[in-house]
Amino acid sequence: MSDRLDDLERRIDELRSAVRRAMRARDTGTARVLRAELRHAERAWDALVSTVPAGPPEPPAPRLVTVREQVHQALHLLSAPAQPRLIVAVSGAFFGGTIRSAQLTSLRRDEARSFRSSPYGRPYYLCAALTDRLSPARGLLTLSAWPLERRVIGPLSPRVDFLTCAIAIATAAATAAAGAAAPDERATRLLAGLARNIPGGADGDVAPPDPERVAAAARAELAVHAERDTRDRAELAQRATSQLGDVARLFGAATLSTIVKEEAR
Amino acid sequence: MSGLKRSTSGPGERLAALRGTTPQSPHDARAIAALAANPGCARRALLDGAGIDKDAAARHLGFPAPFGQSPFAITRGNAFESLVKADGCAELLRMLREVLGLPIAEVAYHDVENVGAHLRHAHTRALIDRAAAGAPGAGTLYDHPLLSLEIAGSTAYLEPDVVAFQLGGRFHIVEIKSFAVIDGQADPSAVAAAARQAAVYVLALRALLEELGHDPLKVSHDVVLVCPENFANRPVATLVDVRRQLAVLRRQLTRMTALDRLLDDLPEDLTFDLAPGEDGLPTRPPAELADALRRTDARYAPDCLSACDLCFFCRDEARQEGASDLLGRQVRDELGGVASVEEALGLADGTRHPAEGQEEIARLLRNAERLRKECLA
Repeated sequence: MSDRLDDLERRIDELRSAVRRAMRARDTGTARVLRAELRHAERAWDALVSTVPAGPPEPPAPRLVTVREQVHQALHLLSAPAQPRLIVAVSGAFFGGTIRSAQLTSLRRDEARSFRSSPYGRPYYLCAALTDRLSPARGLLTLSAWPLERRVIGPLSPRVDFLTCAIAIATAAATAAAGAAAPDERATRLLAGLARNIPGGADGDVAPPDPERVAAAARAELAVHAERDTRDRAELAQRATSQLGDVARLFGAATLSTIVKEEAR
Repeated sequence: MSGLKRSTSGPGERLAALRGTTPQSPHDARAIAALAANPGCARRALLDGAGIDKDAAARHLGFPAPFGQSPFAITRGNAFESLVKADGCAELLRMLREVLGLPIAEVAYHDVENVGAHLRHAHTRALIDRAAAGAPGAGTLYDHPLLSLEIAGSTAYLEPDVVAFQLGGRFHIVEIKSFAVIDGQADPSAVAAAARQAAVYVLALRALLEELGHDPLKVSHDVVLVCPENFANRPVATLVDVRRQLAVLRRQLTRMTALDRLLDDLPEDLTFDLAPGEDGLPTRPPAELADALRRTDARYAPDCLSACDLCFFCRDEARQEGASDLLGRQVRDELGGVASVEEALGLADGTRHPAEGQEEIARLLRNAERLRKECLA
């Protein structure tokens, strides 16, 4: 919530100075448009400030949680780099999320821009996973709070992350099922889709998946890959630490030439 | 970029002259696969050999092709492909484990697209070389590889969906298609087209291995075809043997490199140039282009309608000539030596005298006509 307010305040400041600039340049057309935006932003700020005191005691209604926060919740549960599709599914199944995949497309770019303008100004950033070239991996989101080892992607990592996510989802599903009378349909469907692709995770398509069994099967396969993946990732993380600057470490190096520039600096 | 490596010998110059000032259109897997669909067509061989944009030509002639993928089909195809590759290729790994018996430990995934576009081909080469040499930790799945194939002196770049490599074994091309397999049955023509396309990839990968000094037969002729099962979106994999398609394709490609014979029969000044103007639109009179195209032999068959951009032009030509080709390949083959429908009818009712070598088919046709009359009487 306070993030949203911070954003708005920054936006209002920007708009005010933009209006001043437009007036100085005698560009009345632009100034009018900017004023309208400014009023809009101020009204939104007013609305947010007056709802804040009522917010914290009771659980916030789903639609008041920003896209950013919803993605954070889902990623925090998964605790591994994940694709927007999975993030949306998890958010829908466990947090009553309202996000759609299309809303996640520009998220990483916005976060990178925000980080560049005021580094470490937010408690967390949604950032990129890094490939073996230390470039941002396509379509994967991570949290800046995670250790770098978890945010780099070696050859085995896609599978390891899939299994890690499956374990996290199975655990969450088991907890949710224990608390509720009937299991949530969306959570069941999500888990069934994962269970099918883990050897020994499910018998057939008919029976609803057993969360404990899915988690056990995933752990069994994870044990096969864990050692090599940990080694690969440690190596990559070390490389990333030694070669990349702050921005690139979070959002990936654009090209090899960028790394050269970073080193020269 | 594919036009740069053209050979400068005689046939190369002739082909360049055929193309004229029109830019060369690069071959993709679909186009190369379509070559194998009608190997007997000299017109197609020449046009492809010269890298002529058949679609633009057909459009200019007033016979635009009925196909080209619909945007809905492309979106559907992409969505299905991303579903198969989602979550670290989870679905694909399950299917490969079922179909090829992939060991549990084999899950390494390399996205070749991690490097820049200009390095992708080189990176593919390096990765495949490492895998073929049996280096430890070489990986199992290669996503977005970029292969190349020499087509009539120019290099075509090809993108298979996924290349899978099984430890101690062989490379398999994985082809992801979004047509449904219902009750174990799929549309035969769609499967045939997919098999032909996959055969192009197999050929390209084998060429790459041979170039790198490995055994080309490390690339399996069994292709993994991934399609949605029944009416759900759930993918299912089947192995498709593409040996036959490979043989046809190889023969067709050798024919394309040996275009000299076809070129010798053509007049020196013949060109299929569209003469594009400043705005890239063709300026050549359509009638002139049509005349030029008619100088080459086409071998129209109804199947062309699903594989060749010029199909409507050739069909129109075949109709005007009353050619027996219109009736399909089977009829044409049975009517060997009888070129037109009119001729066949003449032979059947006896108004036309069989030429030398036509006696056998004339007797059959007359018998058929007699039977038909008896039935109708």
